[in-house]
Amino acid sequence: MSVVPASYPSTRWRRAKVGLFRAFTILALAFVIGPALWIIGGVVVKAVPGWRWNVLTTLSQGTSGGLENAIVGTLLLMLGVTVVAGSIGILTGIYLAEIAPPTRRGRSSGAVVRVVIDVLSGFPSIVLGYVGYVALVVGLHWGYSFLPAVLILSLMVIPYIAKATESALHQVPTSYREGAEALGMSLGYGLRKVVVRSALPGIVTGLLLALAIAGGETAPLLYTAGASNTLPSIAPLHHPVAYLTYYVWTDWNQPMASAHVVSYDASLILIVMVLTLLVVSRVIVARTQRHSESAR
Amino acid sequence: MDEVTRQKATPNEVDRALAHLDPDAGRPSNVVDVRNLSLHFGAKTVISDVTIPFERGTITALIGPTGSGKSTFLRTLNRMNDRVVGFRHEGEVLLDDESIWSSSQDLLTLRRRVGMLFQRPNPFPMSIKDNVVAGVKAHGIAKGRELDVVAETRLREVGLWNAVKDRLNDSPYRLSGGQQQLLCLARALAVGPEVLLLDEPTSALDPLSTEAVENLLRTLVPALTLIVVTHNLGQARRISDRTMFFYEGRLVEHGPTPALFESPRDPDTARYVNGLMG
Repeated sequence: MSVVPASYPSTRWRRAKVGLFRAFTILALAFVIGPALWIIGGVVVKAVPGWRWNVLTTLSQGTSGGLENAIVGTLLLMLGVTVVAGSIGILTGIYLAEIAPPTRRGRSSGAVVRVVIDVLSGFPSIVLGYVGYVALVVGLHWGYSFLPAVLILSLMVIPYIAKATESALHQVPTSYREGAEALGMSLGYGLRKVVVRSALPGIVTGLLLALAIAGGETAPLLYTAGASNTLPSIAPLHHPVAYLTYYVWTDWNQPMASAHVVSYDASLILIVMVLTLLVVSRVIVARTQRHSESAR
Repeated sequence: MDEVTRQKATPNEVDRALAHLDPDAGRPSNVVDVRNLSLHFGAKTVISDVTIPFERGTITALIGPTGSGKSTFLRTLNRMNDRVVGFRHEGEVLLDDESIWSSSQDLLTLRRRVGMLFQRPNPFPMSIKDNVVAGVKAHGIAKGRELDVVAETRLREVGLWNAVKDRLNDSPYRLSGGQQQLLCLARALAVGPEVLLLDEPTSALDPLSTEAVENLLRTLVPALTLIVVTHNLGQARRISDRTMFFYEGRLVEHGPTPALFESPRDPDTARYVNGLMG
């Protein structure tokens, strides 16, 4: 004979609450996944039937032709952003999480840097684009070109990378730092070999998000990279750079069907690029994390 | 060697020859010498006026209730508290007659000479072998093929070699807690420390692992000097040569371990070692 009744009056209510909570989480998930699948599916359905492989290998003629120049341009811009924003953003995050000396009240003195970063991430991208136009393209006489585009895109995504890096480093157990310190590793050596290594998935995720944003950005590029139907020049200044989002945006606004095909092709290529980036980075992270505590 | 030189050596000559071989010859008999040490965090005094020598090649147990300051004391000896906000010290800690805070003392070298083992095993997120040689690499003590030798030697030293020799490239987190702690010990020993600080090294381990670690610690003296913080009074009695009892930031009593446990002079010590105060 059990002393406890088989079912409390509250049991049903508790189960209902759990069920409700579960339903809400599934709904929230659907809100995230639904639009993503819808957009990807829509682009694939529109782009694949008219797909020509020579899009990858021929130059654009504006509202028709290929996208080789834009693909190369976007890849170069992403590479530039990886180098500029990646290094500055990751170093900023490391500074905030590990180096900024804590104040007497235990708060990090990196507060100023943090506020600046928040303000920076709050700017609309078109404002940054216009700043780039006024200051770099016109002010420094750089013209529409690679360097101002990379600098402005980097300025835009540095906050994401810095914040992702900082929060990833905060997740690293203190015991790793103490262990490194107690072995007589210098701060920099311990960071490189032990701490940053275990924060890598978070850092890479942040960098990836930043690259996806940069690759998919249009407004600041209109002001800084200009537009071009030729392959990007080696010169970082005075030569406009082509990029995929330009064709997505411009050609969609054209009346011709051929232009719409170009627009969908550019969207599809951009999505494939971002997804590839995602998969490759996951593989890299999985390889570096095979000794992590969570991967036992 | 010819016949003439192979004559019987007198005891004095043997002593002199051995003294010549002894790496500690000519060095102060107290490897660590703490003088009038007081430690503060902000306005709070954690340790007041402790003076105590640590004799080379011995195991000293630091016991006392939680909050008595023994862990802070231990972590000061390899300057792990230096970066803590508000930390201040008065007095001196001498390592081989040189202050650990002196400007000629290189912090990284100090920590190589004064190793540390923590309460919870903290292997790094890298392979078992890389864990053992992590410090060796950092200090540039060995490289390339030598690292394999270092790894094997140290893993054998802590009795882990047979258990891990076939999975040196595996994650250390698949090992049991006790094995992880032995791995951390191998890592600490690999850089050739003279003093090893142990902060409750077995409190997260099961009894069998605890026994394995304790047995191992006894084999490390007299080559090393061990200072062990422990809440386990039985452990203090089993492994230590001397015991220090801390209470409310003061070093209340210290002496040879059997004497301190069997005939404590201070009433607080007596209450603590008899389990009347925790």
